[in-house]
Amino acid sequence: MSESQEKLIRCFQAVFPDLNHGEVPRASVSSVAAWDSVATVRLAAAVEEEFGIQFEVDQIEKMTSFQGCLELLADR
Amino acid sequence: MKLIEALQIANARHEGRPFQVLLACGCTPLHLETFVKAHLSLALPARNVQLRTGLYGDLAGTLEGARQPCDAVLVVLEWGDLDPRLAWRSAGRVNEQVIADAQARLNRLAEGITALADTMPLALSLPSLPLAPAFHTSSQELNRIESALWQMLYGFAASTRAVVLHPNHASLEGGHDLKTELRSGFPYSVAQADRLAAALARAVLPRAPKKGLITDLDETLWSGVLGDDGPEGVTWDLDHKTQFHALYQNLLNTLAEAGVLLAVASKNDAGLVDKALTRADLVVGRNHLFPIEAHWGPKAKSVERILEAWNVGADSVVFVDDNPLELEQVRTAFPTLECVEFHKDDAAWLRELGDSFAKREVRAEDKLRTASIRAGQAIRRAAADDASLDALLAGAEARVSFCWGKQPPDPRALELINKTNQFNLNGVRYTEADWMAYLAGAATQLAVVDYQDRFGKLGKIAVLAGRETAGRFELDVWVMSCRAFSRRIEHQCLRMLLARWESVLLRFEPTERNAPMQDFVAQMAAGSRTIGRAEFRRRCPPLYHQAESHQMECTGV
Repeated sequence: MSESQEKLIRCFQAVFPDLNHGEVPRASVSSVAAWDSVATVRLAAAVEEEFGIQFEVDQIEKMTSFQGCLELLADR
Repeated sequence: MKLIEALQIANARHEGRPFQVLLACGCTPLHLETFVKAHLSLALPARNVQLRTGLYGDLAGTLEGARQPCDAVLVVLEWGDLDPRLAWRSAGRVNEQVIADAQARLNRLAEGITALADTMPLALSLPSLPLAPAFHTSSQELNRIESALWQMLYGFAASTRAVVLHPNHASLEGGHDLKTELRSGFPYSVAQADRLAAALARAVLPRAPKKGLITDLDETLWSGVLGDDGPEGVTWDLDHKTQFHALYQNLLNTLAEAGVLLAVASKNDAGLVDKALTRADLVVGRNHLFPIEAHWGPKAKSVERILEAWNVGADSVVFVDDNPLELEQVRTAFPTLECVEFHKDDAAWLRELGDSFAKREVRAEDKLRTASIRAGQAIRRAAADDASLDALLAGAEARVSFCWGKQPPDPRALELINKTNQFNLNGVRYTEADWMAYLAGAATQLAVVDYQDRFGKLGKIAVLAGRETAGRFELDVWVMSCRAFSRRIEHQCLRMLLARWESVLLRFEPTERNAPMQDFVAQMAAGSRTIGRAEFRRRCPPLYHQAESHQMECTGV
């Protein structure tokens, strides 16, 4: 697993503390009950801080799964 | 603190008694809530911090609806709470009318804040974000309407019982995150949320202030080297570009007047030091400095003697010196003593140094501290020998007064409880809310003990609190200032309790720091937690105080 993936997993686990390490890569809005709009803002802020980047509003709206977040990071 | 760390701390499972906090703000609380919970959890590791928040856009309603008692209330005010036209998310056309409208809203908020601040600790932050661009004037000029708004806020800040954060400290360059505000109603950058949360947490759970400062002389209290420049050659003035040392001396005066102990540890010629310290233009009061350790011996030894004279723990003291080697040697000898390198011409350093000793109120006892320690040296020396101590105490003309009463609670009582380590029955600390709840118990009784003798006044130096149960007194809280040691005041306290009750049950717990209390309990209770009148009479040494006990409503000074 890459360093970026590990960092992203830490962000997810900080926002969704009930997810264990193995569950995070499969996490999505539909599979995680606690993932609401507030959680999305928290997650975006945590990822921005950890990776030293700034998302555009439309990018934040695309943060609906772990894999989607990874792709967003890869695109930057 | 980073957001990810705050989330981890805030989301961790916390055991212990709940610590209930109301976070009242008109915005979406989002990261502010996370950071507040994290900072409070770090400050209260044994408590389970629980946060409540209010409705978006209804700060006044949140305050008015806060009927459930809390351990702390944190109020975060922004311009939109005074009038929606002033906020970025709902900015509208602003004219002079906004002043009256904002005043009406502030009056309503002030009522809510006042009602809550009367019964629980409350911290308030004033607007820390810029006003929405609604004026025709340049943003570099203070608009008349904005001036009027600040005037009303400062007027309220000057009159409220709440702790008000300094607006300069609470705001951060770049602290406004307009993108997040417009998208989710949360106006702060992550860094600003952290800063605000840390300041609010500190405001309701202030750190125990340091009690003493030991200062070096050369290149610290003054500029120059006494041995080379002579007593008239060292400087602290504008002419020599050494005014920063005068500012440092001035800070020492302020600290001394607030009850902070000051001493000197300097490798120097004692005669020269004495001459320099008697210069008429010295800013720091010569009488504030006690003891003065000026010789060529190791500074760690000087510090040891100063701590002994003050009778305070190393962890309550700051040592300031310009020499890193001296600092390291003292740090090695006293790992818990805070060793600070003197930073010339550094305003932030001077402010931070002052903050280590910050307290909200200066009481009568604070003003007596240095004089009483100086006067107490004879007693401390005599304490080594029972016969000398008896002779000294017999002629001391000591008076001990016990003031019973808990409404209104004497603020000195909580202050003493939370800063006393050595003569402390069990080391239990109380938040303001915990203390109020404890005193509210119908059976709870509180006595604040005042002492004076011919050497001087010590003021309120001890606190006893407990409950009467079946003819005996269960003593939950007993602390006594280290300034009051060796005068047998603790024996007089027990005598006073046993004059009222058949026996006293000590809720005693040994701690790392309460060795003097452990010795006293071993001496008076001999392995038991209960002391009766007969045992007390057998074990108590002669007491010479004139003791009086009265029921009255104590008030803080």
